[in-house]
Amino acid sequence: VTATSTEAGALVPLTDAPAPIPPRPRVLLVGTMFAAGAATAAILGMVALYTQVRAQLVSQGETWLPEGTVLELTPGNMAFVTLLMSAVTVAWVVYALRNDDRTHAYFALALTLLFGVAFTVDTAYLWQQLGIGVADSTQAVLIYSITGAHLAMVVAGLLYLLVMGFRALGGQLTGRAAEGMQAAVLFWFTAIGVYAVVWYAIYVTK
Amino acid sequence: MTVTEAPRDVAESDPAAGGPPAVVTEDRPAGLAALVGSGDPATVGKLFVGTSLLFLLVSGVAGVLVGFEQVDTARFEVIGSGGFGQVVTLHSVTGAFLVVLPLLLGLATAVVPLQIGASTVAFPRATAVSYWTWLVASGLLLAAYAADGGPFGGDQEAVALFVAALIAVLAALCVTTVSILTTIVSLRTPGMSLRRMPLFSWSMLVAGSVWLLTLPILAGVLLLAYVDVTYGQQFLGGADGIYDRIRWVLWQPTLYVFAVPALGIIADVVPVFAQRRHKRHRVAMALIGSFGVLSFGAWTQLGTGVDGEAADPTPWLDEGVWTAVSFLVLLPMLGLLGLWTGTLLAGRPRLVGPLLCSLVAGALLLLGLAAGAATAVEGLDLVGTTWMTGQAYAVLIATLVAAFGGLAYWAPKLYGGLVPEAVTRLVAPLLLVGAAVVAVAYAVGGLLDQPQWVLGDLSGNSDESTIEALNLVAAIGGIVVVLASLLLILGVVRAWRASAEAMDDDPWSGHTLEWATSSPPPIGNFATLPEVTSEAPVYDARYRAELAGKEAS
Repeated sequence: VTATSTEAGALVPLTDAPAPIPPRPRVLLVGTMFAAGAATAAILGMVALYTQVRAQLVSQGETWLPEGTVLELTPGNMAFVTLLMSAVTVAWVVYALRNDDRTHAYFALALTLLFGVAFTVDTAYLWQQLGIGVADSTQAVLIYSITGAHLAMVVAGLLYLLVMGFRALGGQLTGRAAEGMQAAVLFWFTAIGVYAVVWYAIYVTK
Repeated sequence: MTVTEAPRDVAESDPAAGGPPAVVTEDRPAGLAALVGSGDPATVGKLFVGTSLLFLLVSGVAGVLVGFEQVDTARFEVIGSGGFGQVVTLHSVTGAFLVVLPLLLGLATAVVPLQIGASTVAFPRATAVSYWTWLVASGLLLAAYAADGGPFGGDQEAVALFVAALIAVLAALCVTTVSILTTIVSLRTPGMSLRRMPLFSWSMLVAGSVWLLTLPILAGVLLLAYVDVTYGQQFLGGADGIYDRIRWVLWQPTLYVFAVPALGIIADVVPVFAQRRHKRHRVAMALIGSFGVLSFGAWTQLGTGVDGEAADPTPWLDEGVWTAVSFLVLLPMLGLLGLWTGTLLAGRPRLVGPLLCSLVAGALLLLGLAAGAATAVEGLDLVGTTWMTGQAYAVLIATLVAAFGGLAYWAPKLYGGLVPEAVTRLVAPLLLVGAAVVAVAYAVGGLLDQPQWVLGDLSGNSDESTIEALNLVAAIGGIVVVLASLLLILGVVRAWRASAEAMDDDPWSGHTLEWATSSPPPIGNFATLPEVTSEAPVYDARYRAELAGKEAS
């Protein structure tokens, strides 16, 4: 026992003090960290192949996007801004849960879910406007696959947040026990970070 | 369905502080329902091990068929020209993802919680689901081959099924890996810092981290291949282009990532049978870690052409990094071999089955790594020849032999019995001879400019008859490997059927925590745990008891 007291002005060992509670293993948070890392590796690997193929084509003196392709920057920007706003609201969720402020936690979670759905709609709109089908060209295969894989990651993040939201409603994630929501938020932040790379590679440097 | 698993939190209580016992142990349930519904890591681990050993026979038979097909390179008499590419890829894909990886993961699922003093894995249900997903996906993968799918297949839907099944296999393996890594990071017993971890668990932490950075990248590329095959065939060239997206995993340096846990197994086995602590445990950790870092090789994928323009397939060959890595990876291996030799020389070695397997695995791995370094010598022009095939065989069979040694070593914990000593004593030299024959025969064929399996034929090669003779020798070596593997499987079955009542808890006088519980362990693993103050807590406890006994007398 190493705890001490300042009784009578001197440090006295407290031999009968209870042992400290061992820290709870943060398995969900650590597991999510690994899973998010794996998902990131998958999508960034695809982006790497995308940039390699694009560089090769451009080095042959050709343009990257085939004729008729409409890959506007605005929907991509809007999607990115939407995700950035959700980063604020999702951080608000954790902050509110830590302070046992359930009302604001639910409000922030609802906003986050709304932003997530808005991102999904934005991506669907972008596909609709793209002007090429999946089977039309190499570029189409790459663009649809990468943005689709990222959309799947976002949907998985939304479901994760939703499940943790239900658990919070059940009273399991208030105050100190907010690890589950922190794990979901970590995954969500990772999805936003991955989108930053996708946005830059596909929409900005097209 | 009932899920049988140990509650994770009970292992966290501290009996020394007056709390409840560390773990409430229970008898294991029996029957099919307990098997199918089990979230117990020992059961799931054994399922992984058992199934991967069955797939080993599939992969081995395919490899032998390929070997005999190459005895006469002018004609396709065994498999036929139409199915040759498919059987080649069946052999390599099943060997990597249905045998080696799941075998190691199964072993880790059962052993790692015991080694680090945890009552279970971090995500027992996810681990169980990942096993069943892997099993179903593996079945679909084999079904795709049967339906003329797989790389070089003729049926487009079956080819797409192969790609989807392989993605599912990779996803399942990743989930199991996440569970093991989380267990290691989060559920170590008090006192077991990362630096005190057993070397097998440490090697799994290193290997799993690199696997999580490698397998998802392969899955991502396969997703592109799936979209390509299903919709357009614009990008990767359909069925014929798929294997080019996969085979970088079986080339150096990625090939070496399969072998990282083998280093950990050898490092755990050697000191126990040398009856001495592992020399410089932390240095060994650093060497295993650096081996793992150097084996990350997702950057060595084949180049992809676009719009009919061929790309340089191996752009990284001209870069110094690949050459440097090929040589640098030898250094940690040599360092570890030095530590193991020092440990054996300083102790009183007992030359029993697990140690024999470890010695064979170490020798084969060194052979494979040396061959890899030679591949990087520009003047030898070995890239794309069967030299690389021989090297891959050396590394992968070394990993298998180490895993076999691990199975024999941990059999009391997995099965409650011992693999018969006569079996392991016979299997180890057989595997050494078989693997060396396969690896050397293909390597010499590579020196004579024999192209790798699916890259070309021998027309115009003046050494054709010599190469064909070497291919025959390699095929015979393959038969020896398959037969030795079959023998070991029978030994494992024998251990499984042995009576648990007669089993000693610590038959080897082990050093690490798994030997502090019964054989096999109960659900929850431990009734009490010894104090962990070093990397060999059971060795410490035994030493202290012996010392106290001497003082008392």
